[in-house]
Parts: sequence; C-alpha cells; structure tokens
Amino acid sequence: MSEEQTRQRVRKSNVSKSGLFVTGGIDIPFFTIVIALLTIGLVMLFSASYAYSYNKTGNSYNYFLKQMVFAVVGIIVMFAVSKLNYKLLKVINVPLLIVTILLLMLVLVYHTNVGDFKRWIPLGPFTFQPSDVAKFTIIVTLASYISKYYSQMKNPKYGILYPLGVIVVFCGLIYLEHHLSCTILMFAIGAVMMFVGGTNIGLFVVGAGALAGIIATVVFFPKVLMNYAGERIVAWLDKDYEPLGARWQTNNSLYAIGSGGLFGTGLGNSKQKYLYVSEPHNDFIFSIVCEELGFIGAALIIVLFALLIWRGAVIATRCSDKFASLIVMGIMAQVGIQVVLNIMVVTDTIPNTGIALPFFSYGGTALLMLLFEMGVVLAISRKSNVKKV
Amino acid sequence: MKIKLRLNMAQRIIIVAAVVILLGFGTDIVRLFGLQVINGDKYAAKAESQQLLDTEVKAKRGTIYDCDKNVLAKSATVWDVAIDPKNITDKNRDTLVNGLCKIFDYDDEERAKLTEKTKQESRYALVEEKVENDVKDEISEFVSENSFGNIISLTQTTKRYYPYNSFASSVLGFTGSDEQGLAGIESYYNDELTGTNGRIITSKDANSNKLPEDYETSIEATDGNSLVLTINQTIQYYLEKDLSQTLTEYDCKGAYGIVMDCNTGAILAMSSMPDYDLNNPYKIAYKKTRSKIKSIKNKEEAQQKESEAIQNQWRNFTVSDVYVPGSVYKVFVASAALEENVINENFTYTCGGSIQVEDRKMNCHYHPGHGTENLTQGLMNSCNPYFITVGQKLGSHNYFKYFEAFGFTEKTGIDLPGEGSSIYLKESDFTTVGLASASFGQTNSLTPIQVCTAISAIANGGTVMKPYVVSEIIDSNGNTVSKTTPTKVRQAISSETSEKVCKMMQAVVDGGTGSNAYVAGYSVGGKTGTSTKLGESEEGEKDKYIVSFAGIAPADDPQIAVLIIVDEPNQDLGGGALCAPIAANVIEKAMTELNIEPRYTKEELAERSIKTPNVIGVQVDTAKNTITSNGLKYKIVGYGSKVVRQSPSASQTIPSGGTIVLYTEKSDKQMVEVPDFAGLSISEANSLAAQKNINIAISGNDLTSGSVVAYSQSDEKGSRVEAGSVITVKFKNNASVLD
Repeated sequence: MSEEQTRQRVRKSNVSKSGLFVTGGIDIPFFTIVIALLTIGLVMLFSASYAYSYNKTGNSYNYFLKQMVFAVVGIIVMFAVSKLNYKLLKVINVPLLIVTILLLMLVLVYHTNVGDFKRWIPLGPFTFQPSDVAKFTIIVTLASYISKYYSQMKNPKYGILYPLGVIVVFCGLIYLEHHLSCTILMFAIGAVMMFVGGTNIGLFVVGAGALAGIIATVVFFPKVLMNYAGERIVAWLDKDYEPLGARWQTNNSLYAIGSGGLFGTGLGNSKQKYLYVSEPHNDFIFSIVCEELGFIGAALIIVLFALLIWRGAVIATRCSDKFASLIVMGIMAQVGIQVVLNIMVVTDTIPNTGIALPFFSYGGTALLMLLFEMGVVLAISRKSNVKKV
Repeated sequence: MKIKLRLNMAQRIIIVAAVVILLGFGTDIVRLFGLQVINGDKYAAKAESQQLLDTEVKAKRGTIYDCDKNVLAKSATVWDVAIDPKNITDKNRDTLVNGLCKIFDYDDEERAKLTEKTKQESRYALVEEKVENDVKDEISEFVSENSFGNIISLTQTTKRYYPYNSFASSVLGFTGSDEQGLAGIESYYNDELTGTNGRIITSKDANSNKLPEDYETSIEATDGNSLVLTINQTIQYYLEKDLSQTLTEYDCKGAYGIVMDCNTGAILAMSSMPDYDLNNPYKIAYKKTRSKIKSIKNKEEAQQKESEAIQNQWRNFTVSDVYVPGSVYKVFVASAALEENVINENFTYTCGGSIQVEDRKMNCHYHPGHGTENLTQGLMNSCNPYFITVGQKLGSHNYFKYFEAFGFTEKTGIDLPGEGSSIYLKESDFTTVGLASASFGQTNSLTPIQVCTAISAIANGGTVMKPYVVSEIIDSNGNTVSKTTPTKVRQAISSETSEKVCKMMQAVVDGGTGSNAYVAGYSVGGKTGTSTKLGESEEGEKDKYIVSFAGIAPADDPQIAVLIIVDEPNQDLGGGALCAPIAANVIEKAMTELNIEPRYTKEELAERSIKTPNVIGVQVDTAKNTITSNGLKYKIVGYGSKVVRQSPSASQTIPSGGTIVLYTEKSDKQMVEVPDFAGLSISEANSLAAQKNINIAISGNDLTSGSVVAYSQSDEKGSRVEAGSVITVKFKNNASVLD
C-alpha cells in the first residue's frame, strides 16, 4: 500500500465504518510490561511513603491505599479503552482541544493557592490538573493534524509553522501556570511528534543549536527564569548552596541513591525515607528505589521502561494508520521523556524540576491518565489494526 | 539549508525510540552507576552521619574503700528527667503535670514552672536532675500507664555519694558536676577512677526520633577502677573526733593529724580540721568561720572571705602546708648527733636557763634552768640550751646532711594532690646563730607529712619510707589491677641509733613533756613541740602558737607514728597539753585495731586487779562480807534474802574501792545516768562515781601531779548504763611546758 493510498483510506475512514469496538488480541508483551511496572511501582510507593505517610497522616497506609484505588480504577479504564476503536479520538479531537484550552485558561484564574503555582483546579476534596489532560490532547491534536497533512510536512508552512503554533499555544498556557517542567515536557512531546511526522530534519539541527543556546543562557544567567526556577538552577550549579534549604531534597536524594550501592539495603530498609528525602513518595521516589534495590534493581527498572518504549515503538511501526503510529509515539515520548528527566533530577544531573515518575510517583489523576493512555496503546495494538504486510 | 536525508515514518520512530533509550536511559544508568557503585560509599557515609544517633553511656566512676573495704565514696546511677514539649497537647497536659507534680511533690510555684515548661517551643526541657532509682521507677510506671513514651525521657547519669559525709574529707576530696575529681584522692586518681564512656548508636529520622528498626550498635562503657585506701576507719574516726573537739574547745585556727604505719609508710588516718561535708563541699562547715563571715558588714569583703574559707576547708594542711616543727625536731638532731658519734647518750650539759651563742643570748623555755642533763633528760625536758650545744657540736654540714637524709628537702611523693615544699636554709646559708635556732626546730618550715615520715624512719629502724594512701587498685570486676608495695626512699640512720632514740622518746612520755600521751598497756614514745608564729601576730596581739606532738607506739617495737598539730589555740598550752592527749586516744584505738595486745605494768595491773567475786545465790549478809573483804563496796537492790543478780558480774576486773550492785529480787536492771567527769580531779571524779553507783577506772600517766584533770570518758555523759558498770576516765596533766 502506497502512502497516498493510505492517506486516502484514512480520510475516508470513519467510526461508523469500522465500528465502536475493535477485535483481535492486544499486544501481550506491552501489556505485561505495563502490569509489571505498575506492580513494582505500587510496591515501591508503599515502601517509600510508609514513614512519610505515618508522619503526615498518622497512617502508614494512607498514600498507598489511595494510590491503590486509582490503580484499580485505572486498570478498569485501561481495559475498557483497549476495547474501543482508537479512531474515536479523531472524532473527539476538536471538542477535546476546545475543552482543554478552556481548562488551561480556567486554571489561570481559578486554582488552588499553592505558592505561586496555578496548576490545580479544586474539585471538592480532589484537585484536577488540566496539564495532565493537555499532554494527551496535544498528542491527539498533532497526530490528527500530521496524519491529515502528512504529504505536506516537508513544506515549512505545514511541517513547521502550524504544528509549532499548536505547541506554542499549549506551552505558553502551561508556562503561565508556572509549570516549567510540564512546559518543557510538552515541548519535547511536540518536537518528537513533528520529527516522527516528517518535519524537515534541518529544523531539528537548528532547534538543537537553539536549545543549547537557551540552556547556556539559563545556566549563566539563572535570573532570566521565574524566581523558583532560577533558584533551582543556582542550587544545581552550586553543590554547597543552602544544604538545609534549596539543596536539602537533592542532597538527601543523592545520599539515598549512594546508600543503595550495588545491591541495595533491601526492600523496606531505606533509612533516607524517614523524612530525610522530602516527599519520598512523589517526584523523588526513585531515590528510595535506588536505596532499597541498589544499582541492579534501579537498572532493571530502567530496562523495563526501555522495553516499554521499545515495544511501543514496535507497535507504532506496525500500525496500518499514521494517526495510530503518531498517537503511540506521542504517548511513548511522554512516558520516556518523563522517566529520563525524573531520574536525571533525582541524580542531580539536571536542576530540580517537578517531574513525576510514571507508574511510581503518587498522584491519582496522573496514574489514571497514564493507564488510560496505556489503554489507547493497547487498543491500537490489536491485530485488526496491524498493517497487513 | 536543505537536508537531503529522507526517512520514512518507521525509520523516524526507531530513531526516536533509540534516542530516548540509548541517550536518555543510557545517561541515567551511567549516572546511577557513578552515584551508587563508584561513589556510593561517600554518599552512604554522609547519609549515615545524619542518620545516626550517638548516645554516650557514662562509665561508672570507681568506688573508694577504706582498708576494710567499707565504702567511702561511691557513684550511683541516677536519672535526668526531661520532657518533649512539642509532643504535649492541651488534652494530655493536665494529666502529665498532675502526675509529675505528685511524683516530685511540687508546690504551686514549682507546678507553675513545670506547666510553663510544657508549653515551650522546643523539643527538650529538663524537669529534674539526678533523681534516684525509686523515683525513676515511679516515673516509668506513670509513663507506661499513660503512654507518655514520646513525652517523658529518662537519661541515665551518675551521682557521687559520700556515705560518711565529712569523714576523711581532706584525704578523699570531692567531685564536680561532671564527676571530675576536684580535690584529694578523687583528683589525684581521677584517671583511674574515671573509666571510659561507652556509646549506643541508633538510627534516627530527620526529626531526631528513633527509627523503629532494631538497628543498634553499642560500645560498652568501661567502668572506672576502684581504690582501696590504707585509711583505717576506726583510727580515722577517733582522730577526727578528738581533733574537732580540740578545734572547737580551744577556738583554734586548725587541728591536724596523721597516723602512719611506720614500717610501710601507709597512712592509717589523716585529717585537717576544719573539714567539710563531701556531699556539700561549698558550705562552710566550721561554725566559727561562719559566724565570723556573718559579722563582716562589707558585702564584697564577706564574699571574698567566704570563698577563701571554702578553699581553705578543702585544703589538706598535713600535705599542702608547712609549719615550723619546733622542739619535735630535737629527735632528729639527737639522731644525727648519735649517728655521727658527735656525742653519746651520756653527754651531759648543765642548763642555766639560757645559753650564749656568739653575740646572742638564747633562753630556755624553763627560765630557772634544767640543771645538769644527759641526752635523754635533755629530750625529756625539751631543753633548748642542751640541743643548741649538741647542734654546735654537730656543725651545719652534718645538720644539713641529716636534714636531707630525713627527706626534709624533698617532697615525700605521697599520692595526694598539691603536696607543699618545705622552706629551709641551705647549708651554705647557715650561721652559727642560725644553726643554734635550727637545733631546736626553729628556722625551717616543713610539711606535716615530711615530719611524720621522718618520725616513722626513726621508729622503723632508720628507713625513710614513701608515704601512700592507696594500697590497691581494683577493676570493676573486683580484680586487682595493682597493689602498692612499700617504697624505701633511703636509710637515714642506723637501726642502733633508731633504737636509742625510740627509748628516749619513750622516756619523754613516761616522765617528760609528753606524759599525756600515756596509754595504759602500751609503751608510747613521743616528743612535744611548740613554735611561735613569728611575724604572724598583729601588734599588741599576743603571740600565736602552733603546737604539736609526734608519737610512736609501741615504743619498744614501733608500729605506728602519729603527728598531731594544733594551730593557734586560744590558750598558751603546749603540744604536751593539747596534742599528746589526742595522740594517746588515737594510739589506744590504733593498737586495738592493729591487734597489738596490751602489756600492763605492775602498777597498772594493781589498778585493775580486783576481780569481782561471785555472790549469786548467796545469802545477802554473807555476800556483803565477801565484797567488803575484797576491798569493794556494795549496794543492795530489793528486799529478798538471797542475791539473784550482781553488777558487775563475777570475775570482772574493777578498780579497788568500786561498787557492786546486788539484786535480791527479780527486778529490772537499775540504770543510772553517766555524769560528766570532764575537768574533775581524780578525787572529785571518784566521789561523783560513788554517788552515781558506777565504777570508774582511772587512766593516764603522771597522775601524781596536783594539776591532773579528767578529759575523756569511755561512756558519753548523759548515756545510761547499769549501776555498777565500769567507766574508764582518762586524766591528763595540764601543767605542761611551751617547749
């Protein structure tokens, strides 16, 4: 099947033709890796949050149980989504985009009062983070756009200007939330999708150069960034900066990682989780993983993530539909980049920015969203969607 | 710029996956390898240093025992009680405060203070320091009843106790707040007593709370070593009792005493009065000083005087200070002259009351003059012209030779802190007049321990021994660490000379200035001394004296040497009057303690020789006859016809003329109150005893003189004894000289 034919088929295709549900088996290796990561993640969350949870709430199981509830609901959602026809996403793309943009604007005026951050919309006892949805929305939007204009992607107007415009709108709104890490992540997801979508490679060469320039500027003049972000860069550059303040979390993360050594102190035996690593159940959970499971355990988990990405890529290459490939790669990029950046933060390789570790970090809506996305990948992986060679 | 590279989507997907995996995850893994495997130890060490909670476990300070292993100083475990105010809520505050107030028996003011503490913005507030075990148990129970484990903490610490308060205070010394020795043995042997503290290492969280795991390493504390002293409790007790009595009675500046085993140098007793309560060392113990300070109006001056007095009561005069020994020194001059063969015992000199030395006329303390005396008589009379003559014959070279030989130019090396150095004229500085006054013990200032050590040398056959207080060091398990072996410093004189001088010293007690040192049943030798404190009296004030008596016993086979010094008594009494009676008492107790059997002279035996007859079951009339025919008196109690009980019982030795109480009916023992014999003459004492129906045994030497008075009795005045009991009353002769 030529590319032109594929494009025409995609254009013609609609949900009613292919049905609401899909048949054929899901990709078992991918599913297995997801379940393995989720299980390990929950166990480690339990271990890492144990002392912190007791100290904060008087109940050692508090965080673990809450996460468990979301995990169970998330698995149900994942199965349900995996049964659905992914093409539905194309149908809901426009409303999804409108709702997401509205939410991103709403959160700027209606948000919880946590420092200078405008990230969360209060919803009764819960909070809702529009950026979690936005990550998925940008994937669907770009996948939808690129698959539609795939043949024109070499044209700078279609290949660079429009998609970059979408990315800038998202990144701009999220930047206004004072959510730099998510802005970066969003930008990275967009860049990956443009790359996969066929944008001229020259752009990425230029982009890489520009990125290097921005990094250099930020490193040498941290003041150009927002206050909190600027200080984190100072704290990253100066290893002796405020050991009880800005560097406390990072230093204690390093102590935890180092204490793990090659084989680790054993599951449950971390000492750094006893309030040394602040919020050990959250962004810094991986330092406790390193302490308890050692380099070997930590490396195995990274390998599991690598397998997940790899398997996702395999699924993407087998798709009969560019939209599906782009969706899968967008999700894979989101997960992969988050893992890479999270570990770089806990190892003090890059400045401390708040990026959660997928499957591990505490956070209900994030986990729910992640499992939903895994459901999407699984839906795409079904045999009926596989390209007939 | 146009890149010609054309890639299809699958290729681009693989590139993205590869970049994320190889570049991203690859970087992460390399970085982790560096942190965990290469530099892991460095970070682990930093983690540990903040996680570990290092608690010190105090080593227990060693115990100090007397020679019979009675405890003189001991450390006991006590507890510091503290609270963590941050864990106290408004809900449990009342329960906590009520409980603690009850345990510590707090009044309203203290209660308010405690309540204040519970509201502090801190994690630690000390409530009580050093509470004893029973209180700690109460607190533990209170804690477990109310689950106050995270609020009340008990920290183990130690406290030093001195069970006998002021007993041997100048020797023992005391400790500071951290149990560091500040004086005496406590200070000198601080390192031995201290031990090594241990540690308990546990893990804590970032808020310093203990972690729940059983992660704990402990390094045990090594308790300090214990010391066994040479101090004999009985001898020390009587020495202190008599010194302190004299101190108050004669309003002295001080009274000091040393009792030494003359053959080994072991200190059997040592005291410097005024002493102090070891459990309360900062309180002035001597009433006289206290009232003196109270009378000072100027606050600053009073404060200064008070701190001086506190320092002074800690001072061990016998070791740290010097005095002019006066006539006691004559025994050393006699020893030197005999040893050098400058004179023999038969050398005679006629004392006319004074002697001309170059341009100076030097007086004898006995102005009419002692007449013609040999060496023994010279010593008995403590005649200055006699010893000036001997000194001139000896010459300054030989004088100094023996001054050195007896150890007066060096510290004795006793194991007590702050030993003083003597102040003396060097051989080259001697003038004829200087030698003359040095010959009767003026000029040079010596420490009491030096003098006592040198007296011991005379007593033991001529060997200067190194005095010591600690006989044995034992570890916390009771094993011996080291034992002190007596150390010979040098031979000062020959044993022949020693024997001769001992005999002469005995003559001093038997019939000379030291007669008050007489102890029935034992031969005692000694020498009295008095020295004027030149230049220490203010103008218009009468001269201040320091008087002393050095004794040895038994004189024929000396076991102990005694030195008693009374500093600035308020009466012009010499060492024979003030110090010799103390020495007598102490020697008597020491002889009993050392199991030396008394050997009474014929006269002494006669004094005690009447044995009470047995008259129990005998008709009253017959009993009366038996008693009178034995030279005794009787007193009948009851109306029966036969004697059912007698007091004293049969075969008791009582003085002739004593009374036997005969009970003719089964009735309660007749008790009488012991009267105060002090200050009475022998006849007065006898009539008082007869009046009270008790028997007295008269003790003391030289009782023929008219100025004999009672100074000590075996049963305290006011105590109750059975009628007919025998009470020993000691008499002394106050007509002594200021030699």
